[in-house]
Amino acid sequence: MEKRTKRIDIIFYIILTLFAVIFIAPVFIVLMNSFKGQFYITDSPFSLPDATTFVGLSNYVSGLRKTGFLSAFLYSLFITVSSVAVIVFFTSMSAWYISRVKNAFTRTLYFAFIFSMIVPFQMVMFSMSKIANAMRLDNPIGIIFIYLGFGAGLSVFLFSGFVSGIPKEVEEAAMIDGATPVQMYFRVVFPMMKPIAITVAILNSMWIWNDYLLPYLVIGNKYKTIPIAVQYLQGGYGSRDMGALMAMLVLSIIPVVIFYLTCQKYIIKGVVAGAVKG
Amino acid sequence: MAGIRLSNINKTFPGNVTVIDGLDLEIKDREFVILVGPSGCGKSTTLRMIAGLESVTSGDLYIGDRRVNDIAPKDRDIAMVFQSYALYPHMSVYDNLAFGLKLRKVPKEEIDKKVREAAKMLDIEKYLERKPRALSGGQRQRVALGRAMVRSPQVFLLDEPLSNLDAKLRGEMRTSISRLHKTLGVTFVYVTHDQVEAMTMADRIVVMKDGVIQQYDTPKNLYHYPANTFVAGFIGSPRMNLFKAQVQRTQNKIILKAGGSSFEISSKNKALNEYAGKAVLVGIRPEDIHAEEFYMGLENTLKLKADIDLAEMMGAELYVYFDFAGERMIARVPSRMNVESSRTLDVAFDLNKAHFFDAETTKRI
Repeated sequence: MEKRTKRIDIIFYIILTLFAVIFIAPVFIVLMNSFKGQFYITDSPFSLPDATTFVGLSNYVSGLRKTGFLSAFLYSLFITVSSVAVIVFFTSMSAWYISRVKNAFTRTLYFAFIFSMIVPFQMVMFSMSKIANAMRLDNPIGIIFIYLGFGAGLSVFLFSGFVSGIPKEVEEAAMIDGATPVQMYFRVVFPMMKPIAITVAILNSMWIWNDYLLPYLVIGNKYKTIPIAVQYLQGGYGSRDMGALMAMLVLSIIPVVIFYLTCQKYIIKGVVAGAVKG
Repeated sequence: MAGIRLSNINKTFPGNVTVIDGLDLEIKDREFVILVGPSGCGKSTTLRMIAGLESVTSGDLYIGDRRVNDIAPKDRDIAMVFQSYALYPHMSVYDNLAFGLKLRKVPKEEIDKKVREAAKMLDIEKYLERKPRALSGGQRQRVALGRAMVRSPQVFLLDEPLSNLDAKLRGEMRTSISRLHKTLGVTFVYVTHDQVEAMTMADRIVVMKDGVIQQYDTPKNLYHYPANTFVAGFIGSPRMNLFKAQVQRTQNKIILKAGGSSFEISSKNKALNEYAGKAVLVGIRPEDIHAEEFYMGLENTLKLKADIDLAEMMGAELYVYFDFAGERMIARVPSRMNVESSRTLDVAFDLNKAHFFDAETTKRI
């Protein structure tokens, strides 16, 4: 019996290792090619850099020069951080209200949020970008509110699942202790939501940081975020600089990977909490 | 310091569900009053209305001389201890205690003094820096009490504060809470479904059923003079034995007939005269059914041979179960007696201690 379990375990390990390799391979190939001369990348994309093909950091230097990476990085950082902050702030408050005040209005509101999750972005993107232009949201500050709209569905869903699991008595105790609704939210409710707030922040950061289509449609002409800047390296009228492209891809991945690794234990906790306690 | 007065209070929840119906209750200043009753009797709702956590549908609610129907919980000068403790999980014990005072902008030194005083009194000084999750149930309960104490409120409201604790700790905390009441000298309103808590701690007990007060009296009076069969059955463990009997009046005697036996009731009980020809409910506490030789010769007892169904050993005494007049009876007899299941036992009901209730209204006669 034990032998059989062991054998099944080994088979699972092999399958899972294969999956891990398949998932990590593209990232590794990009990293590897970012150190190779651009002609060698197209010739033999899967070979490791050697004495002939290795070009050091020159791809990174040329990439940074050609793309205006620093300004793209700052735009991406500003948009991501601000959008995530706004999403966490507003959706946690909405979810608290929806979970605590039970009436026809809050039920409708909740279903509206859930419904927004199932509408594909492509369905609304053109009308949305027209409206965004008309409302003068076509700038790095305006796009934050568009992200709030697109991020609200999942975030409200996760937050309200979590809030339902918080005993109401804690809030009642705060009420008797003398807290106003605002004090109660900031000093009692929000600190208790920390695990799910981190989850919501990570999920939204990864999506907004990597998002290409929305910033391209809304602010792409004037303000280039990293995905747009990187994309310029491969299109355009001149030759395609694969080396610089690979280097910039590596640079764009680093922040979000660091952020994910630092907070990953909360993601699992939060997603499970949101799912179970909902 | 303040008493509490509830005058014709009604509470109806959405869907027209009436939980409290015309409740009148007066709690004196510094009194320890316990609301007791089965689940759904409205005791917690009453407490939550006093706290301001539930609105009052109609009627007047006073704390001291102030009508507080429309006053927010924070301005009622009350403190509440919840069944789930409801501590702030992200704050240390110190901050949990200090939170209410900080919100009221009390000077830091004073907060520190009050928190440390309360912690010392409740013996939680060494846990001040800990988070609630690092405390045991009993310690958490003491923190919850401390949080109520530091604000020096006029009224303490406690909603089943001991029901999450184990039996031993519950006993200890009962004593602590009683002591706390004496030390603080403020009004305590306490909700529980545990009649032992009610009997041991309260100055007066409110017995509730279906949103209506059944009796409001001292523990002693509730036990010895229950107002109706509900109170008679609810207060006391094991519960009071109740059986139906037919009243007959012959010359100057009142005879009761039940379960194939007839027995004379002392003529002192004049109220029973009016029930001649009618049925009454007779109540007798398990400790008033005796099996010792001594009682068999006494007058004014109902003697019978009981077929013992079950005998439970409780340590100092035995609970003996048998049937009489179609009802299950329990007698408490000394455990040194040789009593076993499936045997017969001579028992004597001490009729001097019997209670009589109207069979229709279930009210005390």
